[in-house]
Amino acid sequence: MLDGIGRFPSVGTGSQYGLAQPTPVAPTPIPQTAPVRTEPLPTDFGTVLGQMTLDAISTLRASEQTAVAGVRGQATAQQVVEAVMDAEQTLQTAIAIRDKVVASYLEISRMAI
Amino acid sequence: MIDPIRVAVKVAASGLEAQSRRMLIVSENLANASSTGNTPGADPYMRKTVSFQAAMDEAMGAKLVKIDRVDVDRKPFRVEYDPGHPAADVNGNVKLPNVDMLVELADIRETNRSYEANLQVVKQARSMMSMTIDLLRST
Repeated sequence: MLDGIGRFPSVGTGSQYGLAQPTPVAPTPIPQTAPVRTEPLPTDFGTVLGQMTLDAISTLRASEQTAVAGVRGQATAQQVVEAVMDAEQTLQTAIAIRDKVVASYLEISRMAI
Repeated sequence: MIDPIRVAVKVAASGLEAQSRRMLIVSENLANASSTGNTPGADPYMRKTVSFQAAMDEAMGAKLVKIDRVDVDRKPFRVEYDPGHPAADVNGNVKLPNVDMLVELADIRETNRSYEANLQVVKQARSMMSMTIDLLRST
């Protein structure tokens, strides 16, 4: 029931919004999280939200690692700023999409029966 | 497909890095503006030059900038008569680095401006991205 929302195309993988990509920071050997996702599009609303959250978390984690490397003097200020900005952008996108999807869900639940 | 705005940020970031490296080279030149050799007739510090190169990034399909190579300036050294100096040759002449303060300061300014321009690209691209995401928010 209501799985139509889950098929909302841009929510699916999030790759259009760069959710699945980790932040590549070239010169410093920072371990990359978030492997490229190859599994099929989730159709369930809960799975979609869960996956989006996971993607956001992995980007955040990558930015955290870069920030720590920056504090240790192993990454440049530009790399730290870039990674943190990337994470911020990802989180913003995820939150905006979540709000939108939740809002549409609420709209459906308010439907007069 | 990668978002072109994100690629623009990456390209600008490569510019930021290249300009930082250039700043390092210029600072070396400035700091060593009077570094002489320490044996009679020895060559002093040679001014370093830096050249940039466009580097294709296959994954993003865009050309980043990177430092091509750091070379030394072949300009003749300044020569000063100072017989008491440890690097003075038999005639009492000391070779001083071929660093021209004015040129280095102009280089610093140019580096600064270039860095600023790249930062501006990051700023604008970020704002474009935020505006687009904000479309989802408007009620």
